[in-house]
Amino acid sequence: MTNTMGTVAAGVERRTSAGYLPGRPGIWFFIIGDLLIFGVYFVCYMVYRGQNHGLFLESQQHLNQQIGVVNTIILLTSSLLVALGTEAARTENNRDAFRLFGAALAVGALFPLLKLSEWIPEISAGLTPGKNMFFMFYYVMTGLHLIHVVLGLAIIGYVVDDLRSPKPSIRFAETGAMYWHMVDVLWLVLFAVFYLMR
Amino acid sequence: MTSYLRNPLTFIWALLTAITIASWSIGKGHGSDYHISATITAIVLILAAVKAQFVVRYFMEVRFGPTWLKFVAYGWVIGLLLLLLAAYRATL
Repeated sequence: MTNTMGTVAAGVERRTSAGYLPGRPGIWFFIIGDLLIFGVYFVCYMVYRGQNHGLFLESQQHLNQQIGVVNTIILLTSSLLVALGTEAARTENNRDAFRLFGAALAVGALFPLLKLSEWIPEISAGLTPGKNMFFMFYYVMTGLHLIHVVLGLAIIGYVVDDLRSPKPSIRFAETGAMYWHMVDVLWLVLFAVFYLMR
Repeated sequence: MTSYLRNPLTFIWALLTAITIASWSIGKGHGSDYHISATITAIVLILAAVKAQFVVRYFMEVRFGPTWLKFVAYGWVIGLLLLLLAAYRATL
């Protein structure tokens, strides 16, 4: 019992100590690299948009804003569940951690389904990547993001599986969580620049 | 499970959701009322940056991270916001 309490205290302690890096250090190189790559895409998009505000604004009206906002809330909710699951894993509450990561996986899986239900009517209506510059950026950037979502769901799936084992890896749970939060951050910017800005 | 409802992270999530709905109600529109607006653009981009900052700070726990990580992560959010606003403004 003392041993368990000691481990729990250590788990909480290491997060609150200054300079703690959650997850495996390598994931942060990947996250920072990905943020920079998407950052370049965002700026390029804004520059091209500036060359033809009218075309981008007209094209933007064909997007489904309702699906956009629901998908944003889906990713935020899935991120919260992962963050709570990470806290539970640190305090060795593996049952809750398993449930929370499992719920995050279930909620997060709605994102690609809704994205497809958004794309299919758009493509059927002739709004393809070849239509104009707006739709080229839209499909390339939300498509790249969708690949990140699917990869993230696979990682969270592995974390859920690991949390069922007698001695799950907190580092692995943290690593998966950090990747999933990054996917969330990228979508927050995508939602603003494609669906909301004028 | 009620302890998770009282968790500070859940409060952050509620704030993020509220900002999302607020920015959607500001940015949504259709037809003739859908025109170029620097004000709406600035508001939705700033709100997106605020949300990104909250996720980075609280969900990704960068607030507990080493100084270099705070510099890079917060720098990305603020730097991207400024670049997007500048690129938009330059072409108006």
